[in-house]
Amino acid sequence: MANQSGNVYGLTILSPILQDTKAETSHNCAIRIKLAGLPRGESSPFAKVSSTHMARLVVMDDVVYVGMPSCEEHLKSQYLVFETNFDGDLETYLARMAREIPAEVDAVWQHCWGYPGVSEVSAFVAYMKKCQVPTTFYFADVNNKTVEQTLRALQAQAAVAEFIERNQGRTTTELQKSFADFVQKLHNTPPPVPGRPGKGGPPRIATKMRWATRSYSNGEVPTPNE
Amino acid sequence: MKWWKTWIVRLFFLVLGAIKPLQRDLVQLSFIHFARWVIVKRNAFPHPAQEQPVEELKYDYLLFFSNFNGTWNQYIDAFSAVLSRGLNFIWRWSEKFPGSVPVTPFKQYIARCQFDTDYYYTAYPYATTNDVKAAHRVQAALEALEKQSVGMSPEEFASAYLRFLVTVQCDLGETGRAPVGT
Repeated sequence: MANQSGNVYGLTILSPILQDTKAETSHNCAIRIKLAGLPRGESSPFAKVSSTHMARLVVMDDVVYVGMPSCEEHLKSQYLVFETNFDGDLETYLARMAREIPAEVDAVWQHCWGYPGVSEVSAFVAYMKKCQVPTTFYFADVNNKTVEQTLRALQAQAAVAEFIERNQGRTTTELQKSFADFVQKLHNTPPPVPGRPGKGGPPRIATKMRWATRSYSNGEVPTPNE
Repeated sequence: MKWWKTWIVRLFFLVLGAIKPLQRDLVQLSFIHFARWVIVKRNAFPHPAQEQPVEELKYDYLLFFSNFNGTWNQYIDAFSAVLSRGLNFIWRWSEKFPGSVPVTPFKQYIARCQFDTDYYYTAYPYATTNDVKAAHRVQAALEALEKQSVGMSPEEFASAYLRFLVTVQCDLGETGRAPVGT
């Protein structure tokens, strides 16, 4: 099925936006204002729906006219385009949206035609499926790893780099013990928070490497984004 | 796109999906996490409410979504340089597509047809596609070493550890903001 690549599902939804000439703020503007105010990064509502790899929301005002000799035409409704890439099946994901981020979903989709609200999850799922447009061709470069597996792998990558640096020149016995402790500690570390900048990669080793080429008199390691 | 041309594009994607080696250039570019093409038929725009006006369109529309690393210019330049034949085959059926080479009219066309994103989320904001793949390779090598190391003598472990270092040494790069060069 073109909507899926391996374990990853590519969902595309076009929700028609309400028109109300009497409204003080048009519905498309209201959606844009709401989206502009939504938290980003680890505070994003999509970080709560933790199976989301990447997602975007776009207000499509009209179709594009590319000039003569093509015909000029216009949409009768504007559309809210929701594109998301997530692990697992569609119904579970939509139900999670309804249950875990109901306020945000309501705030955005209440401006769309036919939106039933999230209080009845099955009605919300049915509505979203009605607005789904099937994917014609879907490409996912890594399609066999979940979000959590990827975050854990990035965490492990960072930790391994640091471990290697710290354990240079150790005796074989020390190295083996140190490795056993390291692996145990890594297993006990909670998975990184989705959407948090820098925490998925190896920022500590990166800063240490930079540190090695610069002198910091107070011994303080700069943060990765400095 | 004129409605009858969308069937050609569908056929192309069908072949592209079935014959994996045809995706080689796309895979080797290795800066796209997820990409998709979606054909919206002129009479298939979603219509979930009776009161909603019905669209009356002459054209079908091809939507393209891409989640990539780097800047817009880097992305289009690489696309144009590496995938021009494939891109041309996909978009040549669209109205007034200028071709992906030369790149200047190609960029002008994209800029004209593009919708700006109002909200974007990624679970691993500073990891590129290559970072993700490298991290999974490190993770796999680490798990293998952990399994092997059970019951090893310190000398055997040191030898296995050395092999592990050789395996992962190219996959320990830094993540973070990419340098921007335009």
